[in-house]
Amino acid sequence: MSGNRLIIALSKGRMQDDALELFARAGIVVNESELNSRKLIIDSSDRRHSFVLVKPSDVPTYVEYGVADAGICGRDVLLESRANVHEPLDLKFGHCKIAVAGKREVVGEDYNLLATVRVATKYPRITTDYFHAKGVPIEVVTLSGSVELSPLLGLSDRIVDLVETGRTLKENGLEVIDVITESTARLIVNRASLHLKRAAVSDLISSITAALN
Amino acid sequence: MSSLTKIPSGVQYFFDEEVKLRRFVERRAMEIFKGWSYDEIILPIFDYHDLFARGMGEEKAGHTYRFVDRDGALLALRPELTSLVARTVATRFIKRERPVRLCYSGEVFRYDDPTQRAIREFHQLGCEHIGESGIVSDIEILLVVAEVLKRLGLDDFRIALSHVDFFNGVADYLKLNAAERNNLRELIDRRNSLALDEFLGRIAPEIDPARRRDFANLIQIAGKEEALDRATEILKNERSRAAVEHLADIYSTLKSLGLEENFDINLGDAGGLEYYTGLTFKVYVPDWGVEIGSGGRYDNLIANFGNPEPAIGFSFSLDGLVGALTVKQGIENLNGDEPAENIAVGNDLTDAFRDAIEQRKNQKKVNIRVR
Repeated sequence: MSGNRLIIALSKGRMQDDALELFARAGIVVNESELNSRKLIIDSSDRRHSFVLVKPSDVPTYVEYGVADAGICGRDVLLESRANVHEPLDLKFGHCKIAVAGKREVVGEDYNLLATVRVATKYPRITTDYFHAKGVPIEVVTLSGSVELSPLLGLSDRIVDLVETGRTLKENGLEVIDVITESTARLIVNRASLHLKRAAVSDLISSITAALN
Repeated sequence: MSSLTKIPSGVQYFFDEEVKLRRFVERRAMEIFKGWSYDEIILPIFDYHDLFARGMGEEKAGHTYRFVDRDGALLALRPELTSLVARTVATRFIKRERPVRLCYSGEVFRYDDPTQRAIREFHQLGCEHIGESGIVSDIEILLVVAEVLKRLGLDDFRIALSHVDFFNGVADYLKLNAAERNNLRELIDRRNSLALDEFLGRIAPEIDPARRRDFANLIQIAGKEEALDRATEILKNERSRAAVEHLADIYSTLKSLGLEENFDINLGDAGGLEYYTGLTFKVYVPDWGVEIGSGGRYDNLIANFGNPEPAIGFSFSLDGLVGALTVKQGIENLNGDEPAENIAVGNDLTDAFRDAIEQRKNQKKVNIRVR
């Protein structure tokens, strides 16, 4: 975090290409050769920015602790982590929903408030908050992938997961029961970097804002 | 698992160079506090839970380690030290001349989820200045903080200044209810200018869109004097304007003292609103991603324990100061260790120990060895 170079944490996978494309439009370009190398920290051509590619759910952690000055991650990840960071921009890509889903036969069914509902998810906090607000007693089963499998095998009654097109759900005989919230990619900024690298952070925000419009 | 190898989450053991560094930083900070006429107060490790709830509110007092006294009263390990100081001043220092200046150094304990916060035992160093309102004590406190950082060699520090009435004025002006107030505060705190613009458009459609956008941009970025000038242009309500003017007065004094590099204006800081009543500030240093100190004016706190009195205070995180220093200089470069006189003890115990006592009279470091 030294000098005026900004270190930016990016989510690997789903949002990576969109994020790099947005940076390119904002004038922060990463060479193909740099991208295709096996380096964990890659530099922009002007060497004023470095990128680290990490697991989506780790992006807020890197930024909160200030080892990265800024980052791009989904709102879903931010809500779940409750990381103490600034969130200056909605980048408008990576649109998806965080939804409750279940087998077709449970859709439209009222929750039995006398029984505990088992819910499998990668988002235990969002799930707990949602069901508690409804007064539905739940048991959360935390998984780290293939959450759709859980109702099929009888591990849970329902799931809370990201839904982009709904195709995976459909192919597995599941349907959306309720949309908890929507999510898009966000630019997040470390609280200390906002002051210690004021000029660089402010340039970053304004060039991305310009690229978005 | 054996309790011989396992350590409870969130507690720390320190040894070797790190102990020397922690004690060095603590001593230096306390010397500086005393140099500004802050007298040290030693406070109990635990007190009634109710005391912390009165001081910091039920929510914060909820994050304490609690246990019961012999009479069944609920006790708590101290989660902070300001409430203890405030109660003491409000009840036992009633007759003392004002202002009262006190400083402290000690551990505080937070019963947090260990997966969320790695450390549950912190060491804080701080000052409280009680019984005087106004800009003089605000500036005094900022200069004490600045001197500690400079004397520790953390010269590149940045102190971000804010004022709670900047936010309160806007919320009053918009006539927000409690839920909307929280919403606005969250948006400002996260610097989410687009969502803030949308929120304002919904809540106050009568405001000119250009002015709304100006306000949203104003809170997005930290700044210097120009941020205050822009705020004065944009804001029409008296409360916010008075807050901005107060910050401008503080800033211009700091500038005349040659300190403007170390101070920023951060109008988007909307933290601690339930507690602070005026100036607030946070301290940052390079290569340390979280604040290492914070403080502000809390004119309503003392009234929770007795008569109302103005007050301002701050605390440093010793862990933060030590961590930042270690990153900056490397731990081995921070302490010169005095070499010890080796004293070999053979058959004649009296001779050897007489020699040791002599050396100690001259305050030499000795190291007793069996020959």
